[in-house]
Amino acid sequence: MSNSIPEIEDCPMMLCVGTNMTECHPIIALRVKKAVRKGAKLFVVDPRKIPLAELADGHLQIQLGSDVALFNAMAKVIIDEDLHDKEYVEQRTEGFEELKKHLESFTLEYAEEISGVPKDLIRECAIEYGSAERAGIYYTLGITEHICGVSNVQSLCNLALITGNLGKRSAGVNPLRGQNNIQGAGDAGALPNNYPGFQDVTSAENREKFEKAWGVPLDPDKGITKITALDHAVDGRLKAMWICGENTLVTDPDVKHTTKALESLDFFVVQDMFLTDTAQKAHVVFPAAAFTEVDGFFTNSDRRIQRIRKASDPPGEAKPDWWIIAEVAKRMESGVHFEYDSSREVFDELASVSPIYAGLDYDRIDSGELHWPVPDHDHPGTPVLHEGEFINGKGKLQLLDYVPPSENPDDEYPFYLTTGRRLPTYHTNTMTGRSEGFRILVPNEWLEIHPRDAEKLGFEDGDWARISSRRGDVTTRIAITRTSPVGTVFMSFAFPEETLTNNITNPDVDPITETPEFKVAAVAVERIDAPAGFSAEPALREGSGRDLPSHG
Amino acid sequence: MKSEVEIQDPVTTGILDRLMTQPAPFLEVLHAIQDHHGYLPENALKQVADRFKIPISELYGTVTFYHFFQLEPKPIPDIRICENSTCCLHDLEAISSEVVDADLGVAHSGQVEKISCPGRCDTPVPILVGEKFFHGARAGAVAEATAAEMLLPPETGLEECLFRDIRDGVGTLDGALAHGAWQGPAMAASDPQQVIAQLKESGLTGRGGAGFPTGVKWEAVKNESRGPKYIICNADESEVGCFKDRVLMAHSPHAMLEGMACAGLVTGAEIGIVYLRWEYPEILESLQIAIDEATRAGMLGEDACGTGIPFHILIRRGAGAYICGEETSLLNSLEGKHPFPREKPPFPTTHGLFDLPTVVNNVETFCAVPAILEKGAAWFRDLGLGENAGTRVFSVSGDITRPGNYEVPVGTSLRELLDTHAGGTPDGKAIQGVTMAGISGGFVGAADLDVALDPASLTELGAMLGAGGIIVHDESRCMIQAARESMHFLAQESCGKCFPCRIGTVRVTELLDELIDHSTGNPVIRSHPLEELADLEEVLGETSACGLGLAAPFITKTMKKYWPDVLQDYIEGRRPERQGERDAK
Amino acid sequence: MTDTMKMQLDGQEVSFTEGETVLEVARREGTFVPTLCWDERLDPYGSCRLCVVEVEGRRIPASSCTLEAEEGMVVRTGSDKLRKMQSTLVEMVLSENPGDECPRCRDIGTCEVHELAEQFDVGRERFLGAISNASKEDSNPFLLRDYDRCISCFRCVRICAEVEGDYAITMTGRGWNKGIATAFGGPLMGSECTLCGQCIYTCPTGALADKKMVGQGSIPGKVEETRSICPYCGTGCSINLHARDGKMIGVTPALDGPVNEGALCVKGQFGFDFVNSNDRLTMPLVRKEGQLTPVSWDEALDYTAQRFKSIRAEHGPKAFYAIASGRAPGEGAYMLQKFTRAVMNSNQVDNCSRA
Repeated sequence: MSNSIPEIEDCPMMLCVGTNMTECHPIIALRVKKAVRKGAKLFVVDPRKIPLAELADGHLQIQLGSDVALFNAMAKVIIDEDLHDKEYVEQRTEGFEELKKHLESFTLEYAEEISGVPKDLIRECAIEYGSAERAGIYYTLGITEHICGVSNVQSLCNLALITGNLGKRSAGVNPLRGQNNIQGAGDAGALPNNYPGFQDVTSAENREKFEKAWGVPLDPDKGITKITALDHAVDGRLKAMWICGENTLVTDPDVKHTTKALESLDFFVVQDMFLTDTAQKAHVVFPAAAFTEVDGFFTNSDRRIQRIRKASDPPGEAKPDWWIIAEVAKRMESGVHFEYDSSREVFDELASVSPIYAGLDYDRIDSGELHWPVPDHDHPGTPVLHEGEFINGKGKLQLLDYVPPSENPDDEYPFYLTTGRRLPTYHTNTMTGRSEGFRILVPNEWLEIHPRDAEKLGFEDGDWARISSRRGDVTTRIAITRTSPVGTVFMSFAFPEETLTNNITNPDVDPITETPEFKVAAVAVERIDAPAGFSAEPALREGSGRDLPSHG
Repeated sequence: MKSEVEIQDPVTTGILDRLMTQPAPFLEVLHAIQDHHGYLPENALKQVADRFKIPISELYGTVTFYHFFQLEPKPIPDIRICENSTCCLHDLEAISSEVVDADLGVAHSGQVEKISCPGRCDTPVPILVGEKFFHGARAGAVAEATAAEMLLPPETGLEECLFRDIRDGVGTLDGALAHGAWQGPAMAASDPQQVIAQLKESGLTGRGGAGFPTGVKWEAVKNESRGPKYIICNADESEVGCFKDRVLMAHSPHAMLEGMACAGLVTGAEIGIVYLRWEYPEILESLQIAIDEATRAGMLGEDACGTGIPFHILIRRGAGAYICGEETSLLNSLEGKHPFPREKPPFPTTHGLFDLPTVVNNVETFCAVPAILEKGAAWFRDLGLGENAGTRVFSVSGDITRPGNYEVPVGTSLRELLDTHAGGTPDGKAIQGVTMAGISGGFVGAADLDVALDPASLTELGAMLGAGGIIVHDESRCMIQAARESMHFLAQESCGKCFPCRIGTVRVTELLDELIDHSTGNPVIRSHPLEELADLEEVLGETSACGLGLAAPFITKTMKKYWPDVLQDYIEGRRPERQGERDAK
Repeated sequence: MTDTMKMQLDGQEVSFTEGETVLEVARREGTFVPTLCWDERLDPYGSCRLCVVEVEGRRIPASSCTLEAEEGMVVRTGSDKLRKMQSTLVEMVLSENPGDECPRCRDIGTCEVHELAEQFDVGRERFLGAISNASKEDSNPFLLRDYDRCISCFRCVRICAEVEGDYAITMTGRGWNKGIATAFGGPLMGSECTLCGQCIYTCPTGALADKKMVGQGSIPGKVEETRSICPYCGTGCSINLHARDGKMIGVTPALDGPVNEGALCVKGQFGFDFVNSNDRLTMPLVRKEGQLTPVSWDEALDYTAQRFKSIRAEHGPKAFYAIASGRAPGEGAYMLQKFTRAVMNSNQVDNCSRA
């Protein structure tokens, strides 16, 4: 996030895009609700009627994957109405004239046709965004999990740049990270192109620095992404893999492909708390300690580095992740330093090689008040990024084109499927599903379908259906709701044992980030008899609340 | 804040479409839905929540606050009988059982339930079936009560202000005009400052009980720059023993409407709202006729009284809640919020309805304005005795020969009011004591009946003049029981927000019940009832959040003052002799 | 910014800033002012009246939580008369609840009502009478609702509205019969309630409690509280971990958490006990004859190191790939990338952010 979470409540104009915040980031959503209470404007861009939309001044219910067309049209309105920040554009951006010319074809009519959002609403949203003193953009995977994910993000950045909304309080462009420490994992260097602190591995200077720090020569080429790695496993180039704490088999699209990749490996190590589907394919499984059983740090969405602390004992012989990796490393006899006594020592080493953590140690992160970059020990942290200037000079405005989703409904697969989380089931349910009570709230998967579609297909609430795509099929119950629009159905991926949603999702990826298009697949839905042992009962138990999952 | 209502109720949609353009439509929307369906269906409430942008849970909670909103269909209504201080002087058991069998011409379920005072203490005992009132003080005398039969104030021979034409047919516009009504607004429009000066000079103060100078209040609202402003007439008279506003509205509606119009033209408000208690359905009808007449004749409307300035009046009905007579609860009620009192300051003059500058005055206060403007501030001021300004209307009920409303000079002695004007007790029994302010002003005992009816004199006795309701208890009554009834009413009507009042009024009622029971043989569990009572009184009287709780100790403190030995008898488990015999000793 | 203003508090001159309430000033100065309806996250409500203070020029005491400090105001907080009234109020509050053991005090920590009872050294005996509210069990798995112990401060209703914005519960009825309910009185599951549990941790009595924590208090052993961070989404909410004898028993929100300021969602509040699951891996496993078989750490580690070594020797550095967790602490991610880069000699490392 370019800005910190507490700032949101003072943001007078919020544009929330592809983020079912009340369910997926409920506590960030509280700041949004607070801002609304204080009189802020809220516009929600989402194909589904998510709970946040009920609080909004406008809900732009877009067609899946039409974001670039919509945001380009908004940029055009802002420029046409002379609402752009001329001084900021002049001083801090480049490519404005080119952008202006590029946007000529992105008329409101065109945007309405592509996105399905009434042009007056697009215009209203653009004008509110363009004229607000401060405006913040908040997005989640509804923006990035597309084959055009990077373009989607850049089209939002264009809006922020032309209105001068990057580099000031309660504004910015703010991706909300879906996992507690996904930011921290990237910060720590678990990326194929970056050393810790986002230092490019292809830079000789950086490489020399790390060679000196670690005392060994390093590979000058950047690595492949995890998505490509799975392909390399299938084609035999990759022989060994070590996965820490990810249920890859279930979370990646096109499960058949992932299964084949993992089964092709000569040697496969998994480190986890549980014997997950992925772990069951491994040659070695290391038992990892849980977050309550170790000391360590998490870095959250707004780049805040916070301490977790040991409160309970790991079961049996489970060990902290860092310890396991260090022990394997030591036994590789590489001569590299892996003698650590505590997580504190590991963190100190990370801080010593990462300029954005340079001013940190366990004492300084004790109260959790610092946002990176924290370049030295006196630095107060950086809640707002890009104040004054961008690291790389000027903000480049991007000329973006609308690219339709890679798969669209046709006669054979007439529905769009989009996926996401539900409030009480986190991710693949490995944690929530094992915590008492959550199965009562959400006992099973279900497919959300609009009443009009349900009627057309002859569905009753609670009927069973087979949902199939070009990759495979799954079965689940049907819940008839108005949350998803006509023609679009929705599922989560929280019940992989019963309903392996990623059997049917689309593995096509964004060419730059290689993030798969989880948010759009073409599927067919057909009614089937209830499997043995199940009756046709409502998909949601009485009292478990049809509305519960969608009312964060 | 769920927005989607699965099945829209077309009737509710129509009601919402029709009323949402009006000012403060909330209560009227709910009443219209209930009038149609007989209750408030769940779906309809969801639509209302949606349209008013109120969370459905909050709306549900608010609806449950009121006595008269129903959430379940009830095709055949129950019989509801007043149980409060005046009415419980009658044999409620006998009346209840007679009503069940009586042919009232209205279908009922045969179930009898008790309700809080519906403001008909002059014709006890009010019996409500559906929305129809009957009354019967004893078996064989249950007759239908209608607006037309509402008792006119008995003659006193005194010079009157509010009642000066009330017996002369001023209920209609023609009748009112014939007696010089509707002259004030033109004066208010042409010289508002002069009207404020007149009101200040007249000494007119709020007649709802708080006694704030009316001219000062209007001036404060006039000086506010924010708008739109509102004029609100508090016609939620709900205190036991008070029924003066009902009679004023029934027989002299134009004085009140004119008073409101004057307030509007003085302060710059264009909307007047009468917050009328639900228990006055006849007034709803007659007052609406008066408003319509005045509007048709151009007294109200876009060009009020030819001033070129708009002033409109609408009625909003309460739904059965004494606390809504407290002005800030009333405002919350109108806005559709939970009708708890607000913290003061800020006061309604700056932050009233929808947080905008608002005049809130009582019916009697507005009714006095036209006469003051017509006859002059000095005339009104001089009506009072001694230092006191003007007259006041007292509702007298209970053990009295001529129950009704009396307008007497402020400062008139209580004894003169009761004996000379109201005819004393019906059967020549001695008066043992009377309640004040309705009931919340405590008691005045026989020894002090010569007290002058002005705020300061009553305060000196440890009682409060308040809204002018007086319930007479003769020597045969038990005053501990009377105190219990008063406290019971406050406990029933406590809004429940602040702890001292919510718990304190119940605990005091229980304590008095316990003493009364003790005399019939139940063991007392409290070892120091008087000490505990004193502690409860202190907390109620000093820490309660609004006047309801703050006033509650008047009741028990004056009870202790006037009837200490009766209380002692109870404490010691003796059943007191008949009061008259004791007093004669 | 306005200049600092001054008022008198118990004879001492104290400064305050515009908009501060007398209660805030008094508490900042370390003065004891009891409250039950107050929670710093909520708008001042003024219903318990325990925080009354004497203000010069006012006939009766004022509730300090709703009273804004004014220049020159003279306030007294602890006169005998105020203490007596506060003490009576506490007795009155106690009297409306049952006298049996409070499960909250027993299992989670002394509740505010009973803390005040201790402080004022009073009981419920003097004002015994009807018990307010009705007990109401709710079938949800997380929130214990026992309205016999409710004191109608409505902090639960207000936190649900003002902080969570869920408006799941409301206050019903009036006066003594005031209650707490969902719209139309249905169960919590099926209402707008998200079971975030925040009502539990603002409740000053035992009326609302964490079902996972209740009952734990009767088990012997010292309960330790450890500050940590929620392991679910990327918000980074601060939580307190409660553990006894090295076993997790519950989570409470950290009121001073910089991100959440005491708020949590259903997952952070109740989704901690997966760590106690019987499914946890307790031993390293190595596949032997097709079966994953428990082995010693030494065996698993040696075997792994040896396999990695031989694969690197045979197929080169790029035959290896590592995926770090976005869920586990960052130290592990640092170690895994260091291992990949410095030991396996490639940049073949990623985390799970792509999918």
